[in-house]
Amino acid sequence: MTGNVARLLRSAIALAIAAMPVAALAQESSPQPPVSTVVQGLLPEPGFIDRAIDFATRTMGDGGGDKSGLYPEMSNMITGAGWISLGPGYRMWFGDRWFFDTSAALSWREYKMARGRIELANLAQSRLAIGGEAKWQDYTQNTYFGEGPDTPETNRSEYRIKSVNVLGYTNFRPVQWLTIGGRAGWLRSPSLEEPAGRFRRDNPATRSIFPDDIAFARGDQPDYLHGELSVTADTRDRRSHALSGGVYRAAWARFSDRSGGNFSFQRFDAEAAHFKTFEGARITLVGHGWLTASDTAGNMVIPFYLLPSLGGNNTLRAYSNYRFHDRHFVIANVELRYALMDHLDAALFADAGNVAARMADLDFAKRSYGIGFRVHSRKTTFARLDIAHGSEGWRLTFTTSDSLHFSRLSRRTAPIPFVP
Amino acid sequence: MMPILVALPLLLALYLPFCVRVHDPIATPSIELKGLWQAPEDLASRDLYYGPWGAAAAPDPFAVYTLVNHKHTGTNPGMTVIDERGREWSIKQASLYTPAAEGPIEVVVSRVLSAIGYHQPPVYHMPSFIYRDDWGTHIEGGGRFRLKTRELKDQGDWSWQRNPFVGTQPYQGLLVTLLLLNSSDLKSSNNSLYAHRLGDLVEPWYVVRDVGTSLGETGRWAPRRGDAARFAADPFITGVHDGVVEFGYRGWHQELIRDRVTPADVGWAARLLSQLTERQWRDAFLAAGYTPATAEPFIAAIQSRIAQAGRVAAAGVAAAER
Repeated sequence: MTGNVARLLRSAIALAIAAMPVAALAQESSPQPPVSTVVQGLLPEPGFIDRAIDFATRTMGDGGGDKSGLYPEMSNMITGAGWISLGPGYRMWFGDRWFFDTSAALSWREYKMARGRIELANLAQSRLAIGGEAKWQDYTQNTYFGEGPDTPETNRSEYRIKSVNVLGYTNFRPVQWLTIGGRAGWLRSPSLEEPAGRFRRDNPATRSIFPDDIAFARGDQPDYLHGELSVTADTRDRRSHALSGGVYRAAWARFSDRSGGNFSFQRFDAEAAHFKTFEGARITLVGHGWLTASDTAGNMVIPFYLLPSLGGNNTLRAYSNYRFHDRHFVIANVELRYALMDHLDAALFADAGNVAARMADLDFAKRSYGIGFRVHSRKTTFARLDIAHGSEGWRLTFTTSDSLHFSRLSRRTAPIPFVP
Repeated sequence: MMPILVALPLLLALYLPFCVRVHDPIATPSIELKGLWQAPEDLASRDLYYGPWGAAAAPDPFAVYTLVNHKHTGTNPGMTVIDERGREWSIKQASLYTPAAEGPIEVVVSRVLSAIGYHQPPVYHMPSFIYRDDWGTHIEGGGRFRLKTRELKDQGDWSWQRNPFVGTQPYQGLLVTLLLLNSSDLKSSNNSLYAHRLGDLVEPWYVVRDVGTSLGETGRWAPRRGDAARFAADPFITGVHDGVVEFGYRGWHQELIRDRVTPADVGWAARLLSQLTERQWRDAFLAAGYTPATAEPFIAAIQSRIAQAGRVAAAGVAAAER
């Protein structure tokens, strides 16, 4: 690892720990009365919004994963899959101790996935969880613009990637808000193909724009052995519509090319987000920072589909999804949410960040600003509309995830492609 | 082909839960009426705060409850806990998503049903409680506490459409009472058949158990429950035609009441309900955590409905006499 990487990581982790509220450390020992979850919006709310949220959560659940039975699978798809994905899911809990969960989904752009997972959930007095997951995925229209911060927008290309991933994982929670996680898995030779699926955007195939890319030059992609170790402190009060607390995470991941090639690398992440409310929780201020750094030894390289990427719904909102790829990135987001109604927030946001081949070149040169609206229950964000402006113009997005998309923190399988 | 393969199971998954069989109610071989209802001879003196099981069966607000397991079914969060006396409780907590929790409403309706003679399990309400899990001792948001007692052994659902009481006065009166309280979820899965053991005597109890979707508007798709304004505005009885009463009910299983309820049935229920005193009504709501101020509009709306039922019954009798 280069000296720069080490210095930056040390600084980021120190910052994250320093930002951790002292109150969180006392959370275990001093029981508090139940927190009121009611946030009154500025304006009266039409009844249909409340009714729609009630209906949606009663019939579809909240995605929390604590209920047995059939459920509609609406997560477990990646950014770029289209505005919605749906499929059947079935989960069965056996007491509080273990469960199995299986689902499949198809998205607007015909991304497909099927997965099965089994977990021993509350071992060692709820301190330990051990599980395994297998996932097949076929993502039909992934976007790639080339490597580096200065790739022109006209380089937009698309590729299809199919993969099968099998892994085991464990989470150890010495205290309720702190998780030390580890996972190890096998990613069978991903298949790189021409873009496909419905609602194509007529973008050229990545292979035709970047025929010399080392991944295409290689032909068949390798099998990967991959693993990750992470430490996550999560003091948020809610999972995807947090009003207070924060998430602070440091992770190390390694991909090892098991086909004798040179696609082995490791990656380091440091991330922190903090939520603070004002005006009786009507105003929420969110601050978020995320640094990703990659490292390779000798002649090793990172294939483009596993390069860290930036841009789009969850990072630089005025830029296309996966707009920038390179070995390292840094991103900072600030969002101010105002409760217009009980279940509708207006938001002002600013994003800044960049990718770079060397840590020393990282800066915040790519910026976007905008406004948005969030429809949420008291616990979960259901839908989000963002209008953002940056150096590449205006961009409007509608998604069914929260603005920083922390559901990726609970994802088990290796992210392929890298999803910011 | 692939979209169809994925979309079809999805549609089935979403559609099947809403496929409910529609059968006209038919009485099955008779069983003693007291399995459903026993005449409330002491109605005016019944305690609607602690309910039919009394204060002795109530949960202790100062006890520490130990988590047995979380609830993994249904739409509301909940858990099973054991108190310091070794008693097991099923807790239905408030959903974080919707404004009106089912638990308190369930307690109110349970108190009313038991007061007028219908069997109910021991249910109580606590706004919060102390519980211990693997992580330590916490104060947790409360809800409806239902005691798992050896006197009652749950034997599964009983069917609204196929049961020994169809057509009897208590069965008709039960439907009218639930309609009067705008109970929207008349599904058999919300009913429980208990084996009630009293010494060596074991008798069946037919209980309407999950009645938390009440006291609001009626409807099939997420009706607003526990909403006094909507409850007051929602129509109860919309008319009487050809000797049968028509209701404004828009919830599940309208075949249970369509062309099947007479003014006499309405009058039977109204006579029982009208014997409840102001204090008893207040106690039913206080038991569920309502304040007198929040209970008042509900009670006013209920009494208005009882009065309407009384008028319909009287008019029906007069019409029959003509």
